[in-house]
Amino acid sequence: MDAGALAMTIGQVGGADLVVLAKDGDRDALDELARQCRPKAYGFALQLLRNREDALDVTQDALVSFFDHLDRFDESRQIDPWLLSIVRNQAYDFLRRRKVRAAESLEELLERGAPLPVGQRPAALDRVERDELRSRLWRALGRLSQEHREILVLRDYQDLSYLEIADVLGIPKGTVMSRLHRARKALRELLIDDPEASHDDAP
Amino acid sequence: MHRETQTQPPFDESLLSGYLDGELTQGEAQRVRVHLEDHPESRRLFEEMAAMRDAALSTRLPVPDDDQWDPAPRGPFSRLSRRMGWLLVLVWGAATAVLAVRGWWTADAPWTVKAVGVLVVGGPLLLLLSVLADRLKVMKTDRYRRVQK
Repeated sequence: MDAGALAMTIGQVGGADLVVLAKDGDRDALDELARQCRPKAYGFALQLLRNREDALDVTQDALVSFFDHLDRFDESRQIDPWLLSIVRNQAYDFLRRRKVRAAESLEELLERGAPLPVGQRPAALDRVERDELRSRLWRALGRLSQEHREILVLRDYQDLSYLEIADVLGIPKGTVMSRLHRARKALRELLIDDPEASHDDAP
Repeated sequence: MHRETQTQPPFDESLLSGYLDGELTQGEAQRVRVHLEDHPESRRLFEEMAAMRDAALSTRLPVPDDDQWDPAPRGPFSRLSRRMGWLLVLVWGAATAVLAVRGWWTADAPWTVKAVGVLVVGGPLLLLLSVLADRLKVMKTDRYRRVQK
């Protein structure tokens, strides 16, 4: 099989199988796993640290740790909770050790981002309203406590189930729902009190 | 009319989040639906939480280009050789330290020279110990100390 065909095959292999191949030292599987892990890990780090450069530093370290300990990973588990728990630990370690850079606004972050695919672009007015709400959410998230921010990001941005969130945070599944609800109410309060929002905007 | 309060315990508001996320049992979901019909305030809260979640889920954060990432991850052989390398360096460091202390102790040199040696080594050692002591003190008040490593 030539390299291109092998890469295509590897690209179609999902989570657990990919990990098995990567554990065996398959170069293409390692590359593909790294490619799949980067956006999730970086997105989570960015939400926790609020700065691109800090997030990139932490994600790089987290991925090194992820691949260094890959041989200990149990393939019957989901990859995302394991990866995100490593990112979380690295991010908090980073916050403990280093002075973080200034938080960036969502507009600054999206300046260099790729536009949404045509099929996903909402109508102009919807888009303005949605963009406004996203910006307000981003600002409000930055003012939340770490405990509330991380659980909201895991659910509403990373789309993890309650069981997966419990796995990442190391808390019982029953605690996830109550903590998440408190976080959502706190976020709603911050949205209402957002000093930069126009006063006729409801959350 | 608040139907569920007559026959069931007080409504747990966090069920609204569970309902929004599709994490409830059928019975719990039914209870939430009835509650939402009867309580406009809860309905408003639920709708606002749903709007926040939709906006969050549709946010696409930019990811750095491929050339900004470190080279591909290391394979098993590379990881093993790296660990063996560190182990050998540690063994070499420990052996060198033992030989140095032994040589200093048995050396046929005046006590003044030995005292200078103690001062040269003792300074950095004291600094190291003070840094370690500070770190231990900080750990007690560290807000992230419960985070698992």
